[in-house]
Amino acid sequence: MYLEGQLMTQVVPAKPNLGLFKRNPPIAGEAEAIEAAKNGDAEAFSKLYALHKRRVYTLCLRMLGNVSEAEDMTQEAFLHLFRKLGSFRGESAFSTWLHRLTVNLVLMHLRKKGLNLVSLEETINPSEDDAPRRDFGSRDPVLTGSVDRVALERAVASLPPGYRMVFVLHDVEGFEHNEIATMLDCSTGNSKSQLHKARLKLRELLRQPSPAAQQTTSTEAAQ
Amino acid sequence: MTLPANIDFDTMKPEEFENYLPDLFANGDGKVSRDPRLQKFLTENPDCAALVSDLEAIAEHARSLFEPVGDPSDKVWANIQTKLREESARATESEPEDDEVKEID
Repeated sequence: MYLEGQLMTQVVPAKPNLGLFKRNPPIAGEAEAIEAAKNGDAEAFSKLYALHKRRVYTLCLRMLGNVSEAEDMTQEAFLHLFRKLGSFRGESAFSTWLHRLTVNLVLMHLRKKGLNLVSLEETINPSEDDAPRRDFGSRDPVLTGSVDRVALERAVASLPPGYRMVFVLHDVEGFEHNEIATMLDCSTGNSKSQLHKARLKLRELLRQPSPAAQQTTSTEAAQ
Repeated sequence: MTLPANIDFDTMKPEEFENYLPDLFANGDGKVSRDPRLQKFLTENPDCAALVSDLEAIAEHARSLFEPVGDPSDKVWANIQTKLREESARATESEPEDDEVKEID
């Protein structure tokens, strides 16, 4: 269970995550803006917002699947950043730190909405209807090389929240299973299992013909 | 589950393989199709090979979703500014005035 005061201690990584560092290189002028913003410089804080708003918003959108909620959480993340910026000690990349702060805020938001992560093993599991089927399916069509971003975006948005959260944290954001387990207060085995189920569900969704493709096929059949 | 130490990868059944998959993906570099222990099994079980190939493709393409999709609307920054101004005003109001401090001294 997360308490408000624990939020920032969760943000500091136990060990540097090389994957995230590679994806979050330092940004020119960022260090100066951080120091100035720590001293209450409003313009510097506005620069930090400009530098990071897209990534924070995208993360919120992917985790929540809803524009309005994503905007609300982006707002909360930056307000929280303003209040806690003084505790940033530069032990990790700023973007990584802000990323984790945002993830933890979104998770707290989801808990408040009723996703009880204390008994994650039960509540994170979607209903039988949402669960991926346990068959291998036919070999055709295989997805290799043919997954387009728009279709994947749509499929991820339609995942049950528990699957979507683990998939976004691991496959999109690059967190390790042990980090996800800490954030979600579950076992690493549970994180691995949820990720696998999420990918199976995505495979199932991506193999379904899109409405446009179905229409084309039926038009061709009619001719 | 954790992978048992004594798995016979060559003779396991597809159902067993699927149970091991979450760990097989989590260990190593996530490229199950390149795992030397699985080459014989995957060759003999093309449906399992297709499943692995699809799941690898999904994981690989997921990285493209890391790139930002767009900006939040302007009202987000406007709201942040308003809230920070309100907080700042509240903080100023709750600060003790100089006279009060002198009285305490």
